[in-house]
Amino acid sequence: MKADKRERLPHIALVGNPNSGKSTLFNLLTGLRQKTGNFPGITVELKRGRFQLPNGREVELIDLPGTYSLYPTATDERIVTAVMSNPADTYYPDAIIYVADVTHLEKHLLLLTQLLDLELPTLLVLNMADTAESLGIRVNTSKLSEKLGIPVVLVSSRTGENIDRLLSETEALLSVVPSPEGRFYTLTDQEKGVSNAISLNIGTDVPYRALLLAHHYTWLPGLSEQARQTIGAIVADKHFNSLKHQIEETLYRYDRFTPIVREVVQHPPRFPNTITDRVDAVLTHRWWGPLLFGAIMLLIFQAIYAWSAVPMDFIEDLFAQLSDTIKTYLPEHRLRDLLTEGILAGLSGVLVFVPQIAVLFFLITLLEEVGYMARVVFMFDRLMRRFGMSGRSVVSLISGGACAVPAIMSARTIGNWKERLITILVTPFITCSARIPVYVILIGLVVPPREVLEIFSLQGLTFASMYVFGLIAVLGTGYFLKRMLKTREVSYLAIELPVYRIPHWRNVWLTVWEKVSAFVVEAGKIIMLISLVLWALASFGPGNSFQEAKQRAEEEARAKMLSWEDTQNLIAAYQLEASYAGQIGKVFEPLIRPLGYDWKIGIALFTSLAAREVFTGTLAVLYHLGNAADDITDASENNTKATLRQRMQAERFRDNGQPVYTSATAFSLLVFYALAMQCMSTLAVVRRETASWKWPLLQFTFMTLLAYVAAWLVYNLLA
Amino acid sequence: MIRKYRTVESLRRLECARALRVTDPVLASRLMAMGILPGSLIEMIRPAPFGHAYYIKADGIRLALRKEEAANIVVDS
Repeated sequence: MKADKRERLPHIALVGNPNSGKSTLFNLLTGLRQKTGNFPGITVELKRGRFQLPNGREVELIDLPGTYSLYPTATDERIVTAVMSNPADTYYPDAIIYVADVTHLEKHLLLLTQLLDLELPTLLVLNMADTAESLGIRVNTSKLSEKLGIPVVLVSSRTGENIDRLLSETEALLSVVPSPEGRFYTLTDQEKGVSNAISLNIGTDVPYRALLLAHHYTWLPGLSEQARQTIGAIVADKHFNSLKHQIEETLYRYDRFTPIVREVVQHPPRFPNTITDRVDAVLTHRWWGPLLFGAIMLLIFQAIYAWSAVPMDFIEDLFAQLSDTIKTYLPEHRLRDLLTEGILAGLSGVLVFVPQIAVLFFLITLLEEVGYMARVVFMFDRLMRRFGMSGRSVVSLISGGACAVPAIMSARTIGNWKERLITILVTPFITCSARIPVYVILIGLVVPPREVLEIFSLQGLTFASMYVFGLIAVLGTGYFLKRMLKTREVSYLAIELPVYRIPHWRNVWLTVWEKVSAFVVEAGKIIMLISLVLWALASFGPGNSFQEAKQRAEEEARAKMLSWEDTQNLIAAYQLEASYAGQIGKVFEPLIRPLGYDWKIGIALFTSLAAREVFTGTLAVLYHLGNAADDITDASENNTKATLRQRMQAERFRDNGQPVYTSATAFSLLVFYALAMQCMSTLAVVRRETASWKWPLLQFTFMTLLAYVAAWLVYNLLA
Repeated sequence: MIRKYRTVESLRRLECARALRVTDPVLASRLMAMGILPGSLIEMIRPAPFGHAYYIKADGIRLALRKEEAANIVVDS
């Protein structure tokens, strides 16, 4: 069936409930040999990784999202049903490793019994052996194995205990030929009728798989339109009530496996899980809960700035020096400029954000690993629902403080489509790391460095209020979208609050690695592409306008007796004005003049499409500071910013000679940058996550219009 | 109006009761998969800080439920 040219490695699916320690096991088995791939039809990424069996054979392990049953309610849970019900799927496994939390075995076996009915070789891994031991829980694995008819191993993915057994059992698993004897659930007569009819028409030999098609045919991505219609007709003809059968089937399964669990598991009389209870009495407390959450958020953002400043400076310096070195050793040529001002500048623009993103995701993952994020979801669900989102949106919104790209991707855990969509649409309003340099320069320009009430700096307060402004935009738009979008889909919270655990460092590092690579790959390729386009637009002009611009600049420089360096900067500025980018800026000038911007700001707005922070670099070139960025030698970055600030203060409009950067213009720009959708990478990710152009286009239009109107209002109120 | 039956929503803090059934079938399917079954012992722990959600324990497992979800679980006593 799968005609892969390369020899296909055996595929093993890793399945289990949320909080079963499945991801920890996946990370333990595959380490860094993992990658994410897109699952067509459903916008969910699947993690895949490889590991070696004791006999030297390689296998591919597919980490399916944690779910409770094959009757899913969230997008990422649907993928399990989609993969497991379709043998033609690329990810369809040859065998299953099922992970269950041994301390809650009676709640973790439902999905296993469903999978048993799909007649694949299955290994049951009882995870968290270490916790079970400390709780005094004992399991008779051989008896469980006998009752379920499949091999069972007791492991601890935390300590690595018994992993060698798991590997040898996996090896044995691949030679098992499953038989219908292993089936767990007996279909009712009506279910048999539906299942047989579907089997005949679609050609599947596993009755339970056919039954799954009857339950899920409306949304399963692997079905042809014709198959969908056929199944629909069968379901209607046999009066098959999906929900009723789901419930009865689930009850039947519980009735069958609960006695087995009782027989094989020995519990001490009471669970002594009092630590979690005591911690939660404070962390989810009516007053302390939200207060502590606020304190944790403040600490996180404090840490982002404290920890990422040094590596960010290092990355910028490194690229500046690299660029300088290239300029020293290579002759002056277009290709050299392409390398330094296009490729290196683009690369630096991508990598400079990595420290902030890494720090933020490190802290978020830590909170998630510990189990705190589920509590945040619980606490803020009510509040977020007023604004059309769910408690789960909080995680995305916090992530948006680093970068909207991974933040939007993390909205996949939101089951309800409307809540997920609103979260995706409003997340870009959160003040991301790329806005910070723009805010810094603009606030420094117009807000005096004064103290308020002795302790607060006025600039710092303005900066903080930009964060609040972003949050207001998030909530306001959410509220508006909640009213606008109609849906019949019901939304659920029903979330498990896991026992607090010591974080597992391997999981934390791998998640940070995954998020950072998502940013570098997803946002990076677009930032790179746009940087190159912008370089071309800024380096070429119509006709021989470039030559003329150079002559004009040289004449003026001679007349003013400028130094060589100033002359070069003047040439660069005149050439940028004459370039295509300059032309575009001038074309747009009438449009942005009502906001208080001249054509130079227009160019900067345009180049910000790569990443918002490009704003400062563009203005540096336009204001004849030229290659100021390359001159960074020692403590001069602040000097460059100061010089840029001085140049901005001196800037006048061409026609009436008024200063460009009044406080009205600066605040108008601040508001514009807070609200406008300038980030093409975000739009690309929104397109992928919503699987349509409609939403990113709507988002772009809405945000830009909002930014325009708000900036116009601010300018006219202050001017 | 006299209530004919009690639901999880009406439980007081730290009160326990046995679940009998879940009214809404879609929710029932979801909650059953998570382990809330007829006969499960439900304990109300505390309401959410902003209301409209509850922290409960079902057979010792900690869960967060919305008000509507809790109101769907019929309990004895």
